[in-house]
This record gives sequence, C-alpha cells and structure tokens, in this order.
Amino acid sequence: MTLKLTVQGGLIYLTTVLFLATAVAGGLGHRNLRRGFWAAAFVAATASVVWRGLHTGHPPMQNLFEFFLCMAAALWPLSQWSRRKNNIDTVTRDALLGVVILFPAGFIFSEEVRRLPPALQSPLFIPHVASYVAGYVMMARAALIALPLLRREGDAGVLRTADLAARQTAATGFMLLTSGLLLGAIWGKICWGHYWHFDPKEMWSLATWLVYGGYFHYRLKHGIRSRRVAAALLWVGLLFVILTLTWINLSKLFTGLHNYA
Amino acid sequence: MKKAIDFLTGLSAAIWSCFVCALFSVYLAFLGAERAAAFMSAPLMLIAVAVLAAVVCGSGLRALKRGRFSSAALHLGCACVMAGWLWGQQAARTATPGEPANGSMALIDGDVTDALWDGPALTNFVGRVPFTIKLEKFIIEHYEQNSVDRDAGRMAPIREYRSRVTVSEPGKTPYVANIMVNRPLRVRGYNIYQMSWGNSVDRFRQPVVYTVLQFIRDPGVPLVYAGFALLSAGVLLFTIGVFRSGKPEAGEGRA
Repeated sequence: MTLKLTVQGGLIYLTTVLFLATAVAGGLGHRNLRRGFWAAAFVAATASVVWRGLHTGHPPMQNLFEFFLCMAAALWPLSQWSRRKNNIDTVTRDALLGVVILFPAGFIFSEEVRRLPPALQSPLFIPHVASYVAGYVMMARAALIALPLLRREGDAGVLRTADLAARQTAATGFMLLTSGLLLGAIWGKICWGHYWHFDPKEMWSLATWLVYGGYFHYRLKHGIRSRRVAAALLWVGLLFVILTLTWINLSKLFTGLHNYA
Repeated sequence: MKKAIDFLTGLSAAIWSCFVCALFSVYLAFLGAERAAAFMSAPLMLIAVAVLAAVVCGSGLRALKRGRFSSAALHLGCACVMAGWLWGQQAARTATPGEPANGSMALIDGDVTDALWDGPALTNFVGRVPFTIKLEKFIIEHYEQNSVDRDAGRMAPIREYRSRVTVSEPGKTPYVANIMVNRPLRVRGYNIYQMSWGNSVDRFRQPVVYTVLQFIRDPGVPLVYAGFALLSAGVLLFTIGVFRSGKPEAGEGRA
C-alpha cells in the first residue's frame, strides 16, 4: 500500500476524486453536476492512460496497472452504451465501480516499468489478461445493473429493461471470461506443458465460469418470473470474481503457478 | 429410458450440475494443484468426467436437433474438451518405457541422451524417446543493467533461458534447435519444454549449470483445441443471440 507522488499518481487520484464526486452528486440528485463530474472524470481517466503511454513509450496495455487505467477510461463509453442500447441510467453505479477499479491502480500496483521474466514473455499475455479484466468489469456492471431486480416489486417495464440489460452485459462478460480461460489454457500448454494444471486460480476461474453458466441456464428455464433469484446469481458470480481476484492474489493460502499475478 | 435422457440433458439438471461442478472446483482449489491433479486422475473421477461429457454431448445433440446452434456448439465444445482430457489421461496411464508420455531429463553441456526420468530429484527411470538429444549449450541471459540495478549492486533480472540442442531422429540428418520458455520444440509427437535449471558439480568436482527439459506427449490436445474452437464459436453466437433477443418484438409487453 503506497501513495504515488508522481504525475501519474496525481492523475489517478484526480480521477478517483471525480468518480466519487459523480457518485455523491448522483446520490444527492444534482443531475447536471453529476453529468459534469462524470465527463471530467472521463477526461482525467483518458489523460492518465495517454500520460502512461507517453511516459513509457509503448501502448499502455502491458501489465495489470495499465489495464486498470484503461478500464477506468472505458467506463464512460460503457455507460453511454447502456443509455443508448437499453435506455437505463448507470452513471452513479459506474462511477462507484470506477473508484473500486482505480483503488488498486492508485495504492497497490507499482507503476515501475517491469522487465518481464521469461514465463511472461508471450504474445498471449496481453489478450489473456485483457479478456479477464474486461470480463470482470462487465460482470461487475451486470450485477450493478441487476440491482433493481432484487426488489420485491417494481414497474414491469423497468424490471424488463433491467433484466435484459443485465443479461446482455453478463453475456458480453461471459464471452470475455471464456476467451480469457481458453487463451490461458493455450498459453499454459505452450509455457507450462499442459493446458490444465488444476492450479487454484484456474479452479476458481472455472468455478466462476460455471456459476455464470448456471445463471444463464436458470434464466432460460425460469424467465423473468424468477428475476430475483437470477439477479442474486449475478451477485454470487461477482462474489466468485472478487474471491478469485483478492483471495488468490493476496493470501498465501493458495500457492500455485499464478503467484506472480 | 427416453425420459431419463430428457431429464439429464434438460435445463434443471444443467442448472444443478453447473453449481455442483462450481463447488467441486472450489474444493479442488483448496486441495492445491498437485493433490487436485492426483485426485482427478483416480479411476472413479475419470468415469465421472466421462459420464458428464456424455450428458453434455447429449445436450449439445439435442440443441442441434432443435436448431439452437449456439447452445449446440457450446455443449459439444465442452464435451470435446472433456473427451480430449480423458484421452490424454488414458495415454498417460497406458504409457510404456518404449513410448513414455511424460518425463524429464537433466543435461549439462555436451550430454547426449534419450532417457526420461521422473520424481523430485529425477531418479525414477520412465522410458526412452525415439530420438536422442545432445545439449550443445545452456544459456542464461540477463537484461541490461539499469541505474536502479547498479545502485542496488545487483544483476539485472533474467531475460531468457535457452537450451541449444542437436536432435538426432532415426533416418534424418541431425539438426540444431533452441528450446526456450514459451517456445517448446516439437519432435515426433513430443513437446519439449525448458522447464528448470540448477547448479551442480561434474565428476571432476567442477561447478556446472544443468538444464531440465520436460517431454510431454498428449494425443488428446487436438481434440481439446477443437473443443476450444467450438466453445469460442458457441459463446460468440450465444452473445449475439442474447442481443438479438432484446429487439422489440411481439413478446414485448406480455407479462
């Protein structure tokens, strides 16, 4: 846990503050203020990605730190997408998600340009990690979009919209999780000799994938009538995502091949 | 019988098996990689995977019959992956010293061998591969030292491990090849990996660096990759389908 006293760090903290301001303005009901903060946060997030690219001299997509910066910048387009496509307002929720995304970038990940060990020197590194980071962000958004479905009652139109938007977001996330899993398996075959090692992180990722598989099967069987259970399943999936990300990486409980991640 | 098959390939069974398999995966995560792999190679677990593969394959065929191509590709892909894994397990179980499936060799510069070994110190003889390997040179390359390294008085991190070998296959002229991390060499159905290295002494008590090459033969891999291709196609079609279902249509407004 370190504070980054650099231009890069300043941009990250500025973006975080703007995300927080967006969420607070949203919570207080200041729509115009919220829109202003949200746009400013997008500009700051984009600036921190561009700064990183200029500073290191390569596209800022080489490690987790850079990916988290990119994901923070992707939130504004994603919320625009939700507004256009599904006609739902996700700005406040996306802003809170942005704070969560930028926390590790601001306080945990090192911004030092690392020289990769031989095992990580692969063209599959970036697609594998990028798929997972983007997939996890989509799954977090799906769970947030599904929030209104958890209520006991509500307007049928609103519920239908939220259900569809959650399902579409989760399907996009599922596609990304699948591609991350398969790319990881192919990379494992090339680097470690086997496509499946029963490594704890592999098992948790598979479990996460299966939970979302269960969600889609459940939703298909029960339709909108059981929306509350379906929405709860999206939250169970997100719980698995969080466990995969934090527990495996931060605790020494599971030792395995993914320890450097 | 038909009723049983319909139930097993139906949605209720799918929902339950997804969650049961998820919990089982978490259990295996707690076991750790080595014990989990050993657990899964037990005959009972192989049978369980085979049954699961058959049921998933059944769901895929059922979806195919109904023209639900995304579901068909997804389920048949999963079944292919499981079948390919079982095939690889079977190859490992039936491997003989004349045709080993998995083993390693430790070499110092100049060593020539075709023997594979197993165990923590590579002391159990596994078998012989149908070609010989001569280690020409094992090379460890570092990154260039930067100012941070110099200030800390340390070497730069390692950039590359490279085993330069000469491969002699019967009926072919010997050729030189490099084996590196992330760049395995493929010879006669074996993938050869740069797995490890270490320091030791030779018979004159002089310090030497040895390299460890791992040899893996897994005939199930093409089937697994075919499954991956089907899975990718299936998940793409599925996502497109979910987005199509959102278009306003006759069903809109119905409770």
